[in-house]
Amino acid sequence: MNWIPKFNSSNSLRVIFVIAIFILLFLSSVAYKHNRDLNETSKLVMHTYEINIQLERLMSAIKDAETGQRGYIITRNERFLSPYLFSRDKVNTSFIALKKLTADNPKQQKNLQRLYKLIIQRFVSFENCLKYSEPKSYDKRRLDNHMFGGRILMENIRFQVDEMNDIEKKFLQSRLKKYDQEISLGPVFSISLFLAALSFILLAYRQISKDIERLKVFNRKLLISSGLMAESEKIGKFSTWQWDLETNKIDYSDNQFRMLGCEPGDFVPVKETFLEFVHPDDKEMIAKSMDDIIENETLPFVYYKIIRPDHKIRYIKSTGKLLVDRNGSKVLLGINFDITDEHLLNIQLKERNSELEKSNKELASFNHVASHDLQEPLRKIQTFISRVSDADKALMSDSGKDYVSKIEVSAKRMRVLIDDLLMFSRTNTTKKEFIKSDLNELFENAKVELTVIIDEKKAIITNTKLPKLHVIPYQIEQLFINLIGNSLKYSKPNVTPEIAIECSKIHSAEYPELLDQAIKKFYKITFTDNGMGFDPQFKETIFVLFQRLHSKTDYPGTGIGLAICKKIVDNHKGYIIADSTLDQGSVFTLFLPE
Amino acid sequence: MQKNALYILLADDDEDDRLFFKDAFEEVRVQTQVEFAFDGMQLMEHLQQPDVILPDVLFLDLNMPKKSGKECLAEIKQDQRLKNIIIAIYSTSSSEEDIEDTFVQGANIYIKKPSDFNDLKKIINEVLTINWHYQTSGLNRDNFLLRL
Repeated sequence: MNWIPKFNSSNSLRVIFVIAIFILLFLSSVAYKHNRDLNETSKLVMHTYEINIQLERLMSAIKDAETGQRGYIITRNERFLSPYLFSRDKVNTSFIALKKLTADNPKQQKNLQRLYKLIIQRFVSFENCLKYSEPKSYDKRRLDNHMFGGRILMENIRFQVDEMNDIEKKFLQSRLKKYDQEISLGPVFSISLFLAALSFILLAYRQISKDIERLKVFNRKLLISSGLMAESEKIGKFSTWQWDLETNKIDYSDNQFRMLGCEPGDFVPVKETFLEFVHPDDKEMIAKSMDDIIENETLPFVYYKIIRPDHKIRYIKSTGKLLVDRNGSKVLLGINFDITDEHLLNIQLKERNSELEKSNKELASFNHVASHDLQEPLRKIQTFISRVSDADKALMSDSGKDYVSKIEVSAKRMRVLIDDLLMFSRTNTTKKEFIKSDLNELFENAKVELTVIIDEKKAIITNTKLPKLHVIPYQIEQLFINLIGNSLKYSKPNVTPEIAIECSKIHSAEYPELLDQAIKKFYKITFTDNGMGFDPQFKETIFVLFQRLHSKTDYPGTGIGLAICKKIVDNHKGYIIADSTLDQGSVFTLFLPE
Repeated sequence: MQKNALYILLADDDEDDRLFFKDAFEEVRVQTQVEFAFDGMQLMEHLQQPDVILPDVLFLDLNMPKKSGKECLAEIKQDQRLKNIIIAIYSTSSSEEDIEDTFVQGANIYIKKPSDFNDLKKIINEVLTINWHYQTSGLNRDNFLLRL
């Protein structure tokens, strides 16, 4: 059940953040590696230069020794010998340092070894030069040889040193080249990555502010709707409560408290709170329906009473529903309506209704009894008169005969009145059995009933085809008899009566007088005659009981016929109207529901 | 009691009606023996005597004190010995309800009391000449009410 609208927090936001974080992690790891490489390289440079320095030192120590020796040989001054004497130590120190520096490089070690041998040879040649230059052991040829050999050795040493320097330089160069290659991609790559990360973060920022904007809108809507809800509850006299079945927390709307006769927030509701307000008569029923609602998920309307703290009784109508949201948590939603006013009104209405029913029944039975019981004495009067006129008329005076015949006429009229009244009351009281009937047949029956008068007046009756409808057949037949009979009765003297019956199907929207009806489709049947008509101002009153437009001496009648017509049409949830122009004929229009 | 004469019984509480009835029968040519019960109670007491002679036709008013015509009709139709009596309802009322009820309960014909003595004579003539076996087998709601 998706009863809680989903707030669309964008998933893309999360994706953007994750990507940005990964880029930044990558960038920092790259930077770290670069840093380490740089460090390594600078160490390597230092290393190379150190070797270079130590080699130079070595070289200069040997040169110092050479210079000192030469000075001594030329001058025979002992002072020139001191650099020569120190040079050995210097050579040794540098040599140890070099050995350490080249410990990781076997090729350089080998070179160093070779250098060492050359240096040793050089020092041996120094010793020999000194020996053959001493005046005691002076030997010019040997001295020259050793001096010359020393010169060659010196060149070899220099060559060796240069070679070692070259190797270090080459190594350094290759390392630097490799490093350069590695970091040559670096700046562009890392700047673009950084920019990417930045743009991702900016994107995320935009998304966040968008979401916040949406949240604000939602929030405002929520505030408005909850405010409106509270107002509507007050105005509409209803209240709501929610019972979260997970947390077992019950929330009452403000109006719920008011409905119970308390102020909002007067107490913290628990399951049993509500039952305390329910009238003892209804407590059991309400407790049961609260249990049922969890089981059945919905609650049909229940009607009950509550007692407020001030002992006032209110009538409540309640319903509820179990709601399950996406996460499967269940919330019971209840709605209560305060129907006290309606209830009291309803009671009044019921009382009035039963009163009305009673008086209606009384009226009907009065009507029936009156007309029924009136028949009895009337019938006897008529029977006695019929006997008098048979046996004794010959013996009576003329005025006596006249009186008797007047009594006879009056009694006959009374009979007609009573019969009509009876028929009128019967259209109301007898069972209303609706049967699908062919109105054409009922119409033919009506004509048969009126054969005598139709023949007498030589009337022309035409009709279009009538429908088949669910009607009370004898009543519709009576209706046709009364309407045709009416037209025949009020036909113009010396004019052939013409009555046209026409039928068509219509929609209630076309006729304002039918708009109140629940039914929309009707058959419209018109009875148009060429009779004497009537003043249109009476078009409403002619349907009222006992209303007559002519004196009874001209046109005998009871004023009940059209009232019966109206009653019959009412019984069929139809409508009857009359219209006429004096001396032009009249139109009676029936609307019968399809 | 004369032999061959039709034995007619009328249950009616109205003295005038009994008088009209008696007079009308006297003017009818058919030989009849007419007797009266003054109300429903008396009628049933009379019929329930063990050695009673059952009428050929029973005319039954509906609106009677103590016991109404409809109650009498129901009792007669439930009594094995009486249930074959020909019953003509003879009432002022011509309400659909009364006609329907008595038809369903098994009356043979429904007569609305006429308001002309001559009509009464015609009705009696009509009733007396009905072949009841034939009439009963062809009885339906339409011919149940006697029309002149």
